[in-house]
Amino acid sequence: MIKAWMKKSMEDKIIDSIIYILCALILFITIYPFYYILIISFNEGVDASLGGIYWIPRKWALDNYEKFFTDIKWLKGLGISILRTLIGTVIGVMFTTIVAYGLSFKELAYRRLYLIIIVISMYFSGGIIPYYTLLKALNLINNFGVYVIPGALNTFFIMVGMSFFADIPASLRESARIDGASELKVFFKIALPISAPFIATCILFIGVGHWNNWYDSAFFIQNKDLRTLSYLMMEVINSTQVSATSQQFGASTTTTTISIQSAAMIVSTLPIICVYPFLQKYFVTGIMVGSVKE
Amino acid sequence: MALYLRKNVYKVKKSNLSHRKHLFRKQISLQIFVITGLVYLLIFSYIPMFGIIMGFKDYDIAMGVKGIFTSEWVGLKYFREFISDYNFTRLIKNTVGISLLKLFFTFPVPIFFAVMLSEMRSVKFKKIVQTASYLPHFISWVIISGISYRFFSSTGIINEVLINFHIIDQPVGFLTSAGLFWGLAVALDVWKEMGWWAIAFLAAIVGVNSDLHEAAEIDGAGRLKRIWHITLPCITPTIVTVLILALGNLFGGGLSGSNFEQSYLLGNTLNNETSEIIQTYVFKVGLAQGRYAYATAVGLIQSVISLVLIFTSNFTAKKISGSGLF
Repeated sequence: MIKAWMKKSMEDKIIDSIIYILCALILFITIYPFYYILIISFNEGVDASLGGIYWIPRKWALDNYEKFFTDIKWLKGLGISILRTLIGTVIGVMFTTIVAYGLSFKELAYRRLYLIIIVISMYFSGGIIPYYTLLKALNLINNFGVYVIPGALNTFFIMVGMSFFADIPASLRESARIDGASELKVFFKIALPISAPFIATCILFIGVGHWNNWYDSAFFIQNKDLRTLSYLMMEVINSTQVSATSQQFGASTTTTTISIQSAAMIVSTLPIICVYPFLQKYFVTGIMVGSVKE
Repeated sequence: MALYLRKNVYKVKKSNLSHRKHLFRKQISLQIFVITGLVYLLIFSYIPMFGIIMGFKDYDIAMGVKGIFTSEWVGLKYFREFISDYNFTRLIKNTVGISLLKLFFTFPVPIFFAVMLSEMRSVKFKKIVQTASYLPHFISWVIISGISYRFFSSTGIINEVLINFHIIDQPVGFLTSAGLFWGLAVALDVWKEMGWWAIAFLAAIVGVNSDLHEAAEIDGAGRLKRIWHITLPCITPTIVTVLILALGNLFGGGLSGSNFEQSYLLGNTLNNETSEIIQTYVFKVGLAQGRYAYATAVGLIQSVISLVLIFTSNFTAKKISGSGLF
């Protein structure tokens, strides 16, 4: 170890040191903010508002989580978030993959026209106001459907999926068709199982997208019962943002809006951390194939 | 994405229509799959595109969708109104300023980070740093803005530490000073997306032929020289591709497209002067004040600028490197 270090040139040593210091710094500033929220969420709320907590909770308490999981407002938000993620992902993945599957056949009639229509929709958009008017006309404003219907077709994943399905040997499909399987059956029994890495990528990314989305809940929903977890969090952030002193103390004397919000942030980050190893496993192959030119 | 198209577009032979019709009938199930998707796009993408004409009409939301077509034409009235609006200069300044700053920082930093990771000798540490670095990409801006509030507010942890170390006497209002918003927005964007975009560059660096490095080493080239003369030139195609993507979405916030979310979530009445951009303004006048036609016109201005940018950057890239995205 030391010998190896001695053998290095001066330049090598300097560069190595800089790299290690910078990377350690990057590691710290990436992880610490999340860690900080975690310890605050496990600390007694009033005590936390006094400051001075950096590494471990000063007064351990589960009050914040207890408050979160007994507050009907947060629970509803959590429920809506889970529901929209589940339904939205199922609809989105099915729809996106089936369209991608159809388009992956190079001999599909009018394929070029179809692709042009899709690509144009990727680059042009009418903007938010015409979109809002459309949703209103479709009766999707203030409707749970707005979470899962308008975003159901993911044009980016159509493009990625096409290249995946195109790699399936044509003979596989043809022999199944000759044996009398319908196109739908071929899709479910052959194409989907073979393209597992793509489907997994699709599920994970569309799922995370649904879970993180706050936008539709904020602008297209007024009904309090239909708000998502991320929207509720945004509401708290907005209410505490300008005046730092306006920490409203709840009925219980130990928690604050901020400490409960910390718990909410952890609850909302946890699912992402849980799927993170899988995201990582698939996204390099799944996403980069489509987005970056080799 | 679109590059896939270019490579694999099926060249329909100059066949007659009846041949296609025959094919169509043969592939009826596949056609149904695809056409369902297209009908969906027609509804959710193309109808709003036609809604753009609202910007040229005296439209009111009470008129419903039909009103978009029946209301009276007013030409460029709303465009003129926006240009003469007292907010105009400020909005343009903020939109362009934040976007250019983001391009300047969020684009090169991932390249630098990727090169640094690839030069790291400890495989284990490299993996840990890389894995951690793209975590923020998957966290929503809502949570990120919640976290930044805890860190940057006047009672936040950064002010706390700075005061404890006697670096400052009075807390700095990172979130409430108009002068600091641009810097904050860019820094948060770099923090959130650095690791994610480094993946693309890192993949390209791994693909560099190691013979080149060995040959250069034998010739006596130091590490910096090898990075400069081998690594960077070899990953130029990837750099160009990512740059086109970033330029195409320049006014949306570059690679991450975070302008709207940042300005909406981190903007407040105190930093409004520097945080309000065209996109948030469209929301304010459109959805909150109900001036649909005017907001559509303002939004259209940004869409047109963006489109011009996409095509110019793609065209320039084609001229320079011989390859574009479409």
